[in-house]
Amino acid sequence: MGQYLMREKVLEGIRSFFKSQDFHEVETPLLVESPSTETYLEFFDTTLITASGTQKTGFLITSPEYAMKKLLVAGLGNIFQLGKSFRNREGLSSRHNPEFTILEWYRTPADYTHIMDDCEAMFAHLLSLTMGQPQTLKYQGTEYDMSRPWPRLSVAAAFEKFVGISSDQLLDRDQLAKVAEEKGYSVSEQTNWEELYHQLFLNEIEPHFSQLKHPIILYDYPTSQAALSKRKETDPRFAERFEFYIAGIEIGNAFSELADASEQEQRLRADLVVRKELGLKEYQLDEDFIEALKVGLPETGGIAVGVDRLIMLLADVPTIHDTMFFPVQDVFELPNRSE
Amino acid sequence: MTNGGNLKKGSFILFKNQPHTVTRTEFVSPGKGSAFTRAKLKSVKTGAVQEFTFKSNEAIEELDVVTAEMQYSYTDDQDVYFMDPRTYEQVSISAELLEGKLGYLTPEVMMYIIFYNDKAIGVRFPSSVKLKVTYAEDATAGNRVNAPKKPVTMETGLMIHAPLFIKTGDTLIVDTETGEYISRG
Repeated sequence: MGQYLMREKVLEGIRSFFKSQDFHEVETPLLVESPSTETYLEFFDTTLITASGTQKTGFLITSPEYAMKKLLVAGLGNIFQLGKSFRNREGLSSRHNPEFTILEWYRTPADYTHIMDDCEAMFAHLLSLTMGQPQTLKYQGTEYDMSRPWPRLSVAAAFEKFVGISSDQLLDRDQLAKVAEEKGYSVSEQTNWEELYHQLFLNEIEPHFSQLKHPIILYDYPTSQAALSKRKETDPRFAERFEFYIAGIEIGNAFSELADASEQEQRLRADLVVRKELGLKEYQLDEDFIEALKVGLPETGGIAVGVDRLIMLLADVPTIHDTMFFPVQDVFELPNRSE
Repeated sequence: MTNGGNLKKGSFILFKNQPHTVTRTEFVSPGKGSAFTRAKLKSVKTGAVQEFTFKSNEAIEELDVVTAEMQYSYTDDQDVYFMDPRTYEQVSISAELLEGKLGYLTPEVMMYIIFYNDKAIGVRFPSSVKLKVTYAEDATAGNRVNAPKKPVTMETGLMIHAPLFIKTGDTLIVDTETGEYISRG
């Protein structure tokens, strides 16, 4: 039973951490007309019907990001939200449930380095609360040194270290294809840069993270991999985004938030074009979000954290489903043979 | 030919020119871009296990396998032996390749043995098998907090969780994929 009650402790710990840091807790809609534009996400959709019979397609959010940024423009300052988000067609895995608990926080004025500090401090707080000390996490038989600061590695440095290539090779489709081919990956004319990048990352880099006895912050992603983050001033080929991993598991994804309304609009419209090409469901761009950015987003760092994964680590259980009273396979009758 | 997105647990593929069996697959969405399938692969030659993440649209060569219906005979330290009931021809498979499935083997059950280049590399189990209970605890000892089930031991040594009313000597139908109790046989 303890593994299920860990959820209660972690939610309480997250709230007490942010309250102590002068954050406001906010709630934003789960049901929206314009969800985020990520081309790799599938939505749950439904129909909103008014009393007079007007019908509108509604979507369940994949993250509360847009609404929270509107609140930042409105001047709310530091905010956090703990709630549910939904992603369809993700397949079942030990790390995925179509309905999941997400934590987002936005700090201002701040950038992604302040969010890195927040992650470390919040995790130390949760460890103290649940384990009685902030230094060590025991997970599935391994001890992880959680002392601060956590080691940090840029994406370019990771590719140099584990794949043996330079930034120039990394960012060029043809050069990267050559590298992948030499390493024995299947590469064709149709293989695009993103596939190469991810396949190399997933096979050559990410497995090393599960060998580490400490967390790691991976930062500065190629700009094409950073939908809502700000480009680096010193090297605009990369953007100020980071992810952090504990026990090889990706826990959070953070940005120095992109405040440039026209660049944001361009990126979102480009996403919608790709969605259309892929034959995915189409919908309107969230114009209010773009309008809000035109008014002016303060300098902000923000992050989304998978709370179920956080609970999984602290409860020392192998899957997020073990932290839920009702994981999806207990709510729906699903075939379990294929996966 | 198949592709990464359609890769299934239990299938046989050629990976880096070596025959492998797929023991697990997991969907991976690394953020932007297309989907990937992370697979656990076991070499049918060496038993060595490795993980590899395939692009979901990546072509994967499936092994050209043939199957033959055979009967389980016995297991020694390393190998499991099967016999063709018509020709009495015997084949062996490394027990390592049947990891976790040995408890479903009884002489009564016909299995499909999978051959690649004339060598037995795997067994396709029926989706369920009938097994006799050799030990069932007293019903009152069961775990009543969650689902009312108790551990029972089958004739093959396999341990499963069955309803409280199951007694020693009962025959049960067991799912060979999940190891779960289906019904009384």
